[in-house]
Amino acid sequence: MDLFSGLIHGFSVALTPMNLLFGFMGAVIGTIIGILPGLGPLGTMALLLSLTSGLDPTAGMILFAGIYFGAMYGGSTTSILLNIPGEAASVVTVIEGYQMARRGRAGAALAVAAIGSFVAGTISLIGLSFLAPTLAMAALKFGPPEYLAVALVGLVIMSRLTGGNLLKSLMMIALGLALGTVGMETVAGYMRYTFKQPLLAQGIDFLPVAMGLFGISEVLVTAEEPARNMQLQKVRFRELWPTMMEWKRSFGPIIRGSFIGFFVGLVPGPSPVIATMVSYSAESKLDKYGEFGKGAIEGVAGPEAANNAAVGGAYVPLMALGIPFTPAMAVVMAVLLINGINPGPLLMTEKPDLFWGVIASMYIGNFMLLVFNLPLVGVFASIIRTPLYLLMPIVLLLCLVGVYSVNNSMLDIWLMIGFGLLGYLMRRLKYDLAPLVLALVLGPMMERSFREAMMISRGDLSVFLSRPISGTILLVGAIVLVAPLLLAWIKPLIRRKV
Amino acid sequence: MNIGSIVFAGLILLVGLIYEIMALNMPRGRLSYPGPGLFPMIIGIFLIATALGCLLQEILPRKRTGEGPSASPLLNQDSTAPGDRNVKKTFHLMALMVGYAFVLKPLGFLISIFAFLVVAIRIFGYRRWVSALAMTAVIVAISYVSFVLWLKVPLPMGILGEVFG
Repeated sequence: MDLFSGLIHGFSVALTPMNLLFGFMGAVIGTIIGILPGLGPLGTMALLLSLTSGLDPTAGMILFAGIYFGAMYGGSTTSILLNIPGEAASVVTVIEGYQMARRGRAGAALAVAAIGSFVAGTISLIGLSFLAPTLAMAALKFGPPEYLAVALVGLVIMSRLTGGNLLKSLMMIALGLALGTVGMETVAGYMRYTFKQPLLAQGIDFLPVAMGLFGISEVLVTAEEPARNMQLQKVRFRELWPTMMEWKRSFGPIIRGSFIGFFVGLVPGPSPVIATMVSYSAESKLDKYGEFGKGAIEGVAGPEAANNAAVGGAYVPLMALGIPFTPAMAVVMAVLLINGINPGPLLMTEKPDLFWGVIASMYIGNFMLLVFNLPLVGVFASIIRTPLYLLMPIVLLLCLVGVYSVNNSMLDIWLMIGFGLLGYLMRRLKYDLAPLVLALVLGPMMERSFREAMMISRGDLSVFLSRPISGTILLVGAIVLVAPLLLAWIKPLIRRKV
Repeated sequence: MNIGSIVFAGLILLVGLIYEIMALNMPRGRLSYPGPGLFPMIIGIFLIATALGCLLQEILPRKRTGEGPSASPLLNQDSTAPGDRNVKKTFHLMALMVGYAFVLKPLGFLISIFAFLVVAIRIFGYRRWVSALAMTAVIVAISYVSFVLWLKVPLPMGILGEVFG
């Protein structure tokens, strides 16, 4: 199926009433949690994971895509109107967005953020539509050494990008890989680390781990925050239209943000957050009006475009290779795994309904988000007033019931609580959660690839370096890992000589 | 030097040691035909080495200030100073969840979740008993209808099993 017939097929799947409904629900939920400070898209998707187990996987994926894109739209609203980031990818928007609101240009900031998000989302979806099938075709040539190399280098790059401290990230990767070995080993049926618990034979289920690490720990961290004084600015519909000058100044940042976001999205790590930072720093360097820090519209348009574009980019490795490079994508992949689908390069040919249906639904969801985010911004913004004492207990109730409902197992409740505590401690001790989760997801695949590669090569370890694709990928990983250390070592030497 | 970080890294080191000892007791096979113990053995060494590194990093005085454990802007998104946080709430919520998990089977879903919600609402700072009870009753009723009757989640009904099961 070529690109255009694939997309047309995708639209025929995405436009069925049921899938439209799930896209709409995702967009609404995403916008709401994007607006609410505390609960982010990752936590929400992790919490809702249990509900997708009985759902058609295409509908589940459409729901999650809506949530992810919706959160990127919603996050800007809180940043601009309240001076509090609605979620992590809108931290940067606070700087210029709130200053604009103070000058009475909140409406223009919201409109530029929404329209920029739409343009960027669409550009990145075009990128996804072209790149994912091409990469999937190329990946058909991948053997076990290549898969091991991609996963290993993905983890290395992420540990370099996310945490400030390399050792801490590497330790989390090791812990994640170790957790991934729990359960019955597939080749010989050997029980590893199950402590004679039959329930652990299938391994540590990703669902309670994700719900605990991302969902429960997020609730715990939010519970500790002191109550915030929420003074919401009112925005009237007619105030939403930016002036000609504001349009002109936003055009460049939106286009630049779209491309920055898409390409940053392809790189392992919390791409939407990094994309906003890269875009903001690029725009502040290009600043022609000397307004940065005082409410420059470029500082809203660029980052808000970039975070949406990064979402499209992050889907590329998942859809093409079946390898998630961000924690959010790991949760999205879990929707497929729960339903017994193994994502990989064959997804496009074996499950065209799912592959193209999900991509097409993103175009529709993006349009839906623009349509109801602009006129309803006031209604959505009032959601910020939902009292935490009501919202958080309900979220916990959904977790406790949801995690039990999938396997009807008390073990899952205990695992979720345990990993909730671990996630909370890690957040407080400044450990990054992403390497742990990705290593847990990628670990079993890495072990399988390693063992297959060893069997094919009859125990020759050089197979990883002698094959051109895996050799090149590993070389890139080695450079990423070692180069900053070498630079830090060489710099003082050079300075001393000068 | 952060005591919490030292204890955490020490615990992971202990986990790593136990993990590695267990891995060494598994059949490792040959490199050309790896057994179930080979990959865990490699991971165990990796875990011990990194945990040891983290531990030393916390204990030894730091030379450079720039690349400290909290230097990443991505990890420093919460602006709240540690002193402003209400850590007690976390302990209460954790204890509440553990309590829920203990009583879910014997007491059943309805009683457990009712007690859970009333206490949780109070932990989150709502002080009026009567309206807390009323809100909880509404939420429990909605969740009973949606999860038990509609979605048919086989939640344990415990001592109320005869009436609602």
